[in-house]
Amino acid sequence: MEVFVFSLFNGVLYGMLLFLLASGLTLIFSMMGVLNFAHASFFMLGAYFAYQISQPLGFWSALIAAPILVGLLGAAVERYMLRPVHRFGHVAELLFTFGLAFVIEELVQMVWGKVPVPYDVPESMNITAFAWQGLDYSAYRLFMLVISVGIFVALFFGLTRTRIGLIIRASLTHPHMAAALGHDVPKIFMWTFGVGCALAGIAGVIGGNVLGTEPGMAIQLGPIVFVVIVVGGLGSLSGALIASLFIGILNNMAISYDFSLYPIFKELGVERNVEGVLADLVNLTTGSIAPLLPYLLLVLMLIFRPRGLFGMRDV
Amino acid sequence: MRIFGILACVVGLVAGGFFATSNSSAHAVETVKIGLIEPLSGPIAAVGTDALQAMETAAEQINTSGGVLGGRMLEIVPLDNAMSAEKTTQQLKKAVDLGLSFIAQGIGSNHALNIIQFIGKHNKRNPDKAMLFLNHSAITTAFTNELCSFWHFRFDANVDMKVAGLVTQMGRDVGIKKVYMLNQNYAYGKSFQAAAHALIKERTPNIEIVGDELIVPFGKTQDFTPFIAKIKASGADTVLTGNWGPDLVRLIKYAAGANLPVQFYTIYGGLTSSVAGYGADAHKISLKQINEYHENDGNIAADALAFGNAYLEKYKDTWYSDRYRWLVGMLAAAIDKAGSDDPVAVGQALEGLTFPGPLGEVQMRASDHQIQTPLMVSSLSRDYKMPIMYKGNNFKIAFATDGVINREDTTLPTTCDMQRP
Repeated sequence: MEVFVFSLFNGVLYGMLLFLLASGLTLIFSMMGVLNFAHASFFMLGAYFAYQISQPLGFWSALIAAPILVGLLGAAVERYMLRPVHRFGHVAELLFTFGLAFVIEELVQMVWGKVPVPYDVPESMNITAFAWQGLDYSAYRLFMLVISVGIFVALFFGLTRTRIGLIIRASLTHPHMAAALGHDVPKIFMWTFGVGCALAGIAGVIGGNVLGTEPGMAIQLGPIVFVVIVVGGLGSLSGALIASLFIGILNNMAISYDFSLYPIFKELGVERNVEGVLADLVNLTTGSIAPLLPYLLLVLMLIFRPRGLFGMRDV
Repeated sequence: MRIFGILACVVGLVAGGFFATSNSSAHAVETVKIGLIEPLSGPIAAVGTDALQAMETAAEQINTSGGVLGGRMLEIVPLDNAMSAEKTTQQLKKAVDLGLSFIAQGIGSNHALNIIQFIGKHNKRNPDKAMLFLNHSAITTAFTNELCSFWHFRFDANVDMKVAGLVTQMGRDVGIKKVYMLNQNYAYGKSFQAAAHALIKERTPNIEIVGDELIVPFGKTQDFTPFIAKIKASGADTVLTGNWGPDLVRLIKYAAGANLPVQFYTIYGGLTSSVAGYGADAHKISLKQINEYHENDGNIAADALAFGNAYLEKYKDTWYSDRYRWLVGMLAAAIDKAGSDDPVAVGQALEGLTFPGPLGEVQMRASDHQIQTPLMVSSLSRDYKMPIMYKGNNFKIAFATDGVINREDTTLPTTCDMQRP
């Protein structure tokens, strides 16, 4: 029971970071229908900007300034690059963001080099908040949790309870009507894209110093974010939250309990020392494939419920 | 003043160009070329560039002291494989077209295997145009066991030798009772795991293995918290890992964040890119690496230190992978000993050849072409004379010696049954 609760807690900590990253992606998708392949690249830029800004000015300035910079950059990308591509349809947009991810990675390598940069957790929060099962949890881990929950609450209420949220949602479903009522739809799209990128930027600022800030971080984290939004349902904020938490907890449980398929094979009369293809399967434990389980979930979800947990439309 | 400086530069360039031209026209056919196949572009280009710089520095040292065969110069020919298998093959074909007899490589055992197989076939079909493969860092043990070849020479300790060194050092620390193993789930990680099991049983039977885990490699494992929790729950005092890159950096960062009270025994923990990644967490953990030497040890041979200093001077990077110096130095010695640059004769001369390493003599074992060398285990420490430098940045941390592993302790039997030309 103790292990269960412990894994649950650790899973939530990791899941909320995934949510922070996925929230921006799902926001952009739900508002604009653009599947942004470069989303994880904006996450990476957030981490690098935060590293650069925190060197002279400290972490707190970076926490404010880096997401704003990433957001402005995102808005500029939408205004000057994505918008001209928009009229060629979603495939063109998708290919554009796909290419953009590689461009950003190369630029990051040119500016900050190919080895990781020493972006650290701020000293003031690198203190033990509490210990559980012999592991110390720093105040920073709790801070990450608080920020992520705060962002979810703010986004949820912003979109469903405010006038701006109403206009944004109207622009998505009825762009021509919204435009006829005098709203500048392209401008709304630009700022939606900017805010989505800024959210990825925040994830970069608070996650980069825990996961390590290096040019490969976008490529490593990119695919898992797509799993989150597909499983949660494309465009659903609550779905992204549930899916992130589920994937975080699944990852922790798979490693903590480390289930093996061996007992099943034993029943079937297959022993551990079997040769050939079966050998890998018999000796497989969930711990050794934990980061791959979400992709299994993705495949199953697409087969049995293509719209995801809370999605309004099929993928 | 400035104009004068520019003039001086121009004059220098013209004069240099003139001498270089006259030099190369006189000796054009006579430089001994070593083709270096490494990733010089793409995501791992930093590592490939480091290897190229080290090879060039080593070749320069031979050339300033008169070259080989009474005045012929060594020349490194960079061949970029961008870390892709097809490009490695393309560059091998290019090396054949250029008529190169010596190929050096080391980053990525899969590419090394490709080269071993290519050269094996090529030399069988073209015995008069044979090529030698000088391997500086690809450490899959099989290359000098079941896959051994006369045409392949390895100048780095293989996985089993490095694990033997780590285990031997663990045996010297009576505080180590329980060890947890964590490795990457692919060929290299599994060979580390197998070697560690065998060597712990043989050399330190009192140390209990309380955990043995394989993880999804190459940065796909993002959250290490559950692994840290399992290590803690197992009561381990030591973690033995072959991990490198983000798989190591994250393990270290998560362990430091949770104040996990263990020491880490690693092969690659001291790579500059890893130390850069730990950031401030490097000060919170006890991390050990095994390699040829480090610059803060007082008993290092002057030649090795001089090489490291020359490299630091030129590139502003700390350098302790002395094996590049061995490779070029031993090749030069073998060419002189053979009296020609004929690859078969040079290969025969390399067999059993000795060379002064940083911790004593190293020797190319004739039976499997595996270098036999002492190794050093060292820990990250804030007590240093020379800090680790990278591109002029001071890491404010360096390595301190834990122990030297003698050649007898890194020497392991081989299963190689070599076919000789």
